[in-house]
Amino acid sequence: MKVAAILIDTCRELIYRKTLIVYVGLVSLTHLLFVLALQTDVADGVIAGLTVFGLEGQGSGNSFSLGTGGPGAALDISAADFVRYVQLVVAFIFYSLGILLSVFATASLVPHMLQKGAIDLLLSKPMSRSGLFLSRYLGALAVASANLLYLVVGLAIILAWKTGIWNGGLVLSGLAMCLYFASLLGFLVLVGTVTRSTTVSIMIAALLFFVGFIIRFPHQNTDWPLLITGRVWRALAVGLVEGLYHILPRTYDMGRVASLLILQEGQVSWGPILNTALVGAGALAVATLYFRRTDF
Amino acid sequence: MRPVRALQGIDLSVPRGSVFGLLGPNGAGKTTLVKILLGIAFPSGGRASVLGRPPGDVRAKARIGYLPENHRYPAHLTGAQVLHHFGRLSGIREPARSQRVAGLLQRVRMQDWGSTRSNKYSKGMMQRLGMAQAVLNEPELLILDEPTDGVDPIGRHELRDLVLEQRERGATIFLNSHLLSEVERLCDRVAIMKAGRLVRQSTIDDLTRRTETHEIELRGIERTALDRLLTAVDGLRSLEDGKGDGRRFELSGDDAALNRAIDALRAAGATIIAIKPRKDSLEDVFVKVVGENEP
Repeated sequence: MKVAAILIDTCRELIYRKTLIVYVGLVSLTHLLFVLALQTDVADGVIAGLTVFGLEGQGSGNSFSLGTGGPGAALDISAADFVRYVQLVVAFIFYSLGILLSVFATASLVPHMLQKGAIDLLLSKPMSRSGLFLSRYLGALAVASANLLYLVVGLAIILAWKTGIWNGGLVLSGLAMCLYFASLLGFLVLVGTVTRSTTVSIMIAALLFFVGFIIRFPHQNTDWPLLITGRVWRALAVGLVEGLYHILPRTYDMGRVASLLILQEGQVSWGPILNTALVGAGALAVATLYFRRTDF
Repeated sequence: MRPVRALQGIDLSVPRGSVFGLLGPNGAGKTTLVKILLGIAFPSGGRASVLGRPPGDVRAKARIGYLPENHRYPAHLTGAQVLHHFGRLSGIREPARSQRVAGLLQRVRMQDWGSTRSNKYSKGMMQRLGMAQAVLNEPELLILDEPTDGVDPIGRHELRDLVLEQRERGATIFLNSHLLSEVERLCDRVAIMKAGRLVRQSTIDDLTRRTETHEIELRGIERTALDRLLTAVDGLRSLEDGKGDGRRFELSGDDAALNRAIDALRAAGATIIAIKPRKDSLEDVFVKVVGENEP
């Protein structure tokens, strides 16, 4: 009941902020657009005809255009590929937006909880500090994940209805993004607990998001350290890049995992998934320990 | 920054069922002491127990109600939702929770505001809601930190009644307040803290005991007779300039001295309007105790 109280309160607080409501509104609008604007005609697994907002589409070789061909022009694209590419584009726009808005919405949860007068009341109640802190984390994660899953499950169902193709990979990619956000949220609550500042929490989370994305390139390119002539500086730079690559949530790699799942191409690597989960859990554990030992 | 010892050498016990007041100037360490007892802050050393359990113990906290100073409720919750939220956190199940929430909102005269968000409340309403929150779990120990801060006189009177109701119910009350008159009215025992140390601990009666001084009010005596009396009666001195109708005097001395003074005053033709034994107020005691311990 006590965990439920914190979960309910966290959900209420996020709904009150309206940031995630805006996200749900945008996702719902997108869903509605697909329901109302997209009409497909699938024959033998190929898109035989496609209409978007009344404009008919046609394909030729690798190109695709709307409204330039005559009625009934056949498209040279399989229905399965069409569904996957549409899902990939929509998912990546909304994954980025969803994670960004979720960071904005949840960044203040811990600093607000730690405000003088609020934390005293919470800590006076018969609940352990760890339970209180982790419930707050779970509440934020539940709301953000529900939003991401609303996007992917809705999109998968609508496109399956319109084309007859069900892509379970989209739903799995949504779960991968939830895991990524869970990891980022671990760092977000750690920064929030130590600094008690919403602004700093957002700045650090955004920094981690981008560093987690770009750090992949020097990690992958083994030649770049040769640009540094000093051996010590080269070793330090390599150490820094590898250190950051391994201790931060892997934005690029998790995006790649989501792409592979949606497109159902290639083998999904478990390394980035496990690493992202572990560093997020580590950040959360440090944040919980810090919270448990802090005087308020 | 130099480390500060917020508390040192505190040895305090609060009898069950009593109303205990903790007094001290700003920065004396009163709130720190309360926070340590509740596990909100940690001591660097020493031992403490609350309801027979260590500070911060979850089972002990289930039996404690707490109203912190400058408490802050989630802005997105209405008054009723605040009480339900803290009721859930206190482990109060339905339907008892809903019954208590409705009853307490009525008790603190907030029944018409239960569905209004708490960020719309005045300071006084916040204190009343805070008080309802603190007693929601029917605590054995009720810790109140400046409960009447910012509350108007009528609101203070109502909160005082609520505290007394809790005492009648059998709760032990630990009151931390700057309002000495309030502490004097409510508390059985008080402790005075200064600079992290406990400098006095006693019952209110002991602290504010009668002094060997009486205030005497007279009428119908000539100025010359009065001057004679002031030199003739030991320990008698005037308390006013004589411009008013009455004459107010202070007499220092035991009961025999008081009787001698009465005889002398009557013999001089004075009409005695009132004789009042003088008692130190808690404020007098507080100022004296805190002043005595000035470094």
